Amino acid sequence: MTTTSTASSSSPSSSSSASASSSSSGGVGKAGSPVFAVDGLWKVFGPKAERIPGDSALTDLGPAELRARTGCTAAVRDVGFEVRKGEVFVVMGLSGSGKSTLVRCLTRLIEPTAGTISIDGEDVRAMDKARLRELRRHRASMVFQHFGLLPHRSVLDNIAYGLEIQGVGKAERRKKATEFVAKVGLEGMEQRKPGQLSGGQQQRVGLARALAVDPEVLLFDEPFSALDPLIRRDMQEEVIRLHREEGRTMVFITHDLNEALRLGDRIALMRDGRIVQLGTPEEIVGSPADDYVREFVRDVPREQVMTVRKAMRAASGDEADRGPAVAPDTTVSEAIEAVARTGSPARVVDEGRCLGVVDSQALLGVVAGTGRPADGTGGPADAVPDADGDAVPDADAESRDARSAGEGVA
Amino acid sequence: MAATTTAVPATGAAALARSVVKHRAFGKLLLLAVVAAVLIPVVNARWASGTWPEALTVDVSDPLTKTSDWIIDNRDSHPLFLYFFGHVSNAVVLSVRAVYVVLLAAGWAGVTAAAALIAWRVAGVRLAIGTGVAFLVSGLLNMWVPAMQTLALMVVAVLASVVLGALLGLAAGLSDRTYRALRPVLDTMQVLPAFSYLLPVVLIFGIGVPAAVIATVVYAAPPMARLTALGLRGADGGVMEAVASMGTTARQRLLTARLPLARKELLLGLNQTIMMALSMAVIASLVGAGGLGDRVYQALASVDVGAALAASIPIVLLAIVLDRVTGAAGERLGDSGSSASSAKSGLVWWGCVAVGAVAVALAGRFTDRLNWPQGWVVNIAEPVNRAVDWMTAHLYSGVPYVGGTADWAGHFTTWVLDPVRDGLQGLPWWSVLLIVATLAWLIGTWRTALTAVLAMAAIGALGVWKPSLDTLSQVLAAVAVTLVVGFAIGAVAARSERLERLLRPVLDVFQTMPQFVYLIPVVALFGVGRAPAVAAAVVYALPAVIRITTQGLRQVSPAAMESSRSLGATNWQQLRQVQLPLARPALLLAVNQGVVLVLAVVIIGGLVGGGALGYDVVFGLAQGDLATGLVAGAAIVCLGLMLDRVTQPTERRTRKGA
Repeated sequence: MTTTSTASSSSPSSSSSASASSSSSGGVGKAGSPVFAVDGLWKVFGPKAERIPGDSALTDLGPAELRARTGCTAAVRDVGFEVRKGEVFVVMGLSGSGKSTLVRCLTRLIEPTAGTISIDGEDVRAMDKARLRELRRHRASMVFQHFGLLPHRSVLDNIAYGLEIQGVGKAERRKKATEFVAKVGLEGMEQRKPGQLSGGQQQRVGLARALAVDPEVLLFDEPFSALDPLIRRDMQEEVIRLHREEGRTMVFITHDLNEALRLGDRIALMRDGRIVQLGTPEEIVGSPADDYVREFVRDVPREQVMTVRKAMRAASGDEADRGPAVAPDTTVSEAIEAVARTGSPARVVDEGRCLGVVDSQALLGVVAGTGRPADGTGGPADAVPDADGDAVPDADAESRDARSAGEGVA
Repeated sequence: MAATTTAVPATGAAALARSVVKHRAFGKLLLLAVVAAVLIPVVNARWASGTWPEALTVDVSDPLTKTSDWIIDNRDSHPLFLYFFGHVSNAVVLSVRAVYVVLLAAGWAGVTAAAALIAWRVAGVRLAIGTGVAFLVSGLLNMWVPAMQTLALMVVAVLASVVLGALLGLAAGLSDRTYRALRPVLDTMQVLPAFSYLLPVVLIFGIGVPAAVIATVVYAAPPMARLTALGLRGADGGVMEAVASMGTTARQRLLTARLPLARKELLLGLNQTIMMALSMAVIASLVGAGGLGDRVYQALASVDVGAALAASIPIVLLAIVLDRVTGAAGERLGDSGSSASSAKSGLVWWGCVAVGAVAVALAGRFTDRLNWPQGWVVNIAEPVNRAVDWMTAHLYSGVPYVGGTADWAGHFTTWVLDPVRDGLQGLPWWSVLLIVATLAWLIGTWRTALTAVLAMAAIGALGVWKPSLDTLSQVLAAVAVTLVVGFAIGAVAARSERLERLLRPVLDVFQTMPQFVYLIPVVALFGVGRAPAVAAAVVYALPAVIRITTQGLRQVSPAAMESSRSLGATNWQQLRQVQLPLARPALLLAVNQGVVLVLAVVIIGGLVGGGALGYDVVFGLAQGDLATGLVAGAAIVCLGLMLDRVTQPTERRTRKGA
């Protein structure tokens, strides 16, 4: 994570951040062991729920059939994923897809029915009450859609609440809370009550409260869904900024695709309790796993998500030697600008090597959605070490803000 | 539907029949009719009589007399009394006396200053002035000592009620099982008239202060318990989840989140408990409470309206002040601005309040002015009595064209109360049960219907069928008047902002007054008898009915109103086709509340010649004939239960009339 932070010292870009993916695919994504590892997770609501996950005759039923047959609702069905250290892992889906239940299962706010959850290798489901409290107090903090602030406490005391629960002394927790008031930009409002704040401000308090206990992971449950669009955007940038500054691991639940694409290093797309696709924003948009996902991402401005890596072809002739140079994770929209300006195909250059070229044909194909299906690494032109490596447009750096995880994760 | 019927008579009728069969109410009626058709011939053949058959009554007065004798004989020797009730009784006497002594020691100046300072601290300057005035008026009317007696009893009773209620509420708020067990009990206690609590308490404790305090606690604790449980259970799920997600222990969740989140309900519970305690502390003068209530009671017994008024003015002022101060405290707590600094400065302020009160009390002591100076007493009894005499002479009867108040009362009795009573008593007993069952089932569920029928049957079995129907006839007449007037005023107030603004303070005052107080003006106006009891009941129940009606009509969704207006509906069409149907739950609630409140006062009307069950209770207390009183009390409970269940809409609200 630290590598990413340093790489992205330039100012944040608001519009292009959705397109970002990791700055140097090789360098960062390796970051070690998973924070959360979830496998075969089920949450079934209803009578005798525990029999459902084990019964293969029932597990294959659709939601309506399952309900008719057993009276149960499977909110989470056989879900497995890993959240890596330092990444923003987005779980996205429409309402009723089970995403909020899933995130509550992570700290057992909702008791899972079956499956395993581990945090840093420790089995969460096996924890006793004290250990679980310890997990909630120090390791995973949550930010809620409806804030969940205590209306009778001031902003400061709300932020200090987590510390109070841990038994931190009054002076110390107030001091610490004051720091976080500043961090989320609520200076001067310390003594207000939550009811006197706007929705966005309230959520800043919620965020500060979660941050104040210095958790290993931040869990967001649709934190910005209740906010106005402009404020939502502000808050998203706030999260991006915080992530860039602190590199904290985040699990982010949302039903808003644009939010998912803006924030997520990786996105798990849920439907009816299952994960239908898990991948980088580019993979989700570029190669939807099924018709549902395709329909879902249909209106996404592709050129802002897809990178030239997916659009390039092998260089032919002298193409590898001329034309503007772009980095592999340049977005298509940025490449279009470069190509349009110079009128010739752009070279995709990584550390001085020309990986391939993108011409207007390929770029238009991406925009129109008719381009060839991305085949991952593309066909790299035989590496021609090139002296033009420095010519990579500086503009790219800014889009590499908060991304840490590597690409090409299936 | 009508159009179809006229156009194609045959199919129209068929469709009508189908739609009627599908209707739930019709199914219920059909079933009841079948049951009735089977049972009534049998029942009628065996026990054919208009009134409740002798064969079906159980004589409880003998065993009750024996029980009461046994208790009186063993009150000083049986371990249960020695080691439990005896201690309770002693503790009550001691604590009431202690508070009383403190109040007397503080002197009138000290008490007034302390009350005003507390009011100022929790509720602001205006209420502080009001509080001071209320206490001074008590002194002016020469009611200082009785007021302190009532206050001492109240302090002890309210503290006990709050502790008891909060504990019960805590248990019910945290445990589902306790809640399910406790809720029907609390709901039922809420609807029982205060009178029915007196007898069992007297049976155990005898007449005296302990009985009065215990009756008050039993009457006043349920709202605290109810509201505590409601508040704890109603905690915002999102907040509770967030708090749990931070790793709180169960204790921390309760103390830092659940209880603070319920603070509004807790304060509302405190407010209601205080108001009900005051109401009961006044009524409990019948069982030896002393104080203001006793003065009213004595004055009413000798129809001395002036003296009754002098005693009831402090009661009313005390009620208003207590209600406003606790209410304002609740609102302040709800939206207080800063908290961090206020904890410390709050202590300082409270210190100032204490110091100020003590200083005034000491000043009073040193200037030897502990007792209210006799020179400052205003005797209003005589002028009031003169006014009443004048009214009796000039307004009672013979006023040209309009008649007189006594004439009205007489006409109401002969033309309304008597026919209704005779009609009810003339009905075959089983048909009364059938009517009760039908009404209760149509409005509620089969459970409420069953409870209602059983309660009514119990009245018959207790052998008080006739007096109960007498009481019922008064209740029905009073409820009819209340609803007609209440709905009319409510409907107008819902349309006119100005009228509502005018009405609001009046309703507020009327809703806070103890039931007892309503008897005084009606006695002045109408003399004694059943009509004044009904009038008092109407006046007591009217504010709640008006308020619920107004709120119900106002809360009708503005969108529905707007759309009907956009379709060109007239005012009348809007009221009839949109507002009334949408406000149906509120109107049903108004009926329910009206019935419950009317019953409470009709029973108390036994003190002013209402007769029937209320009189039996008073008689039982006065003559030491506990058996009669207890049976009447049980019949009141049954009647209250029946009336509540018959009018019970599916959902209940928490607060009397608000």
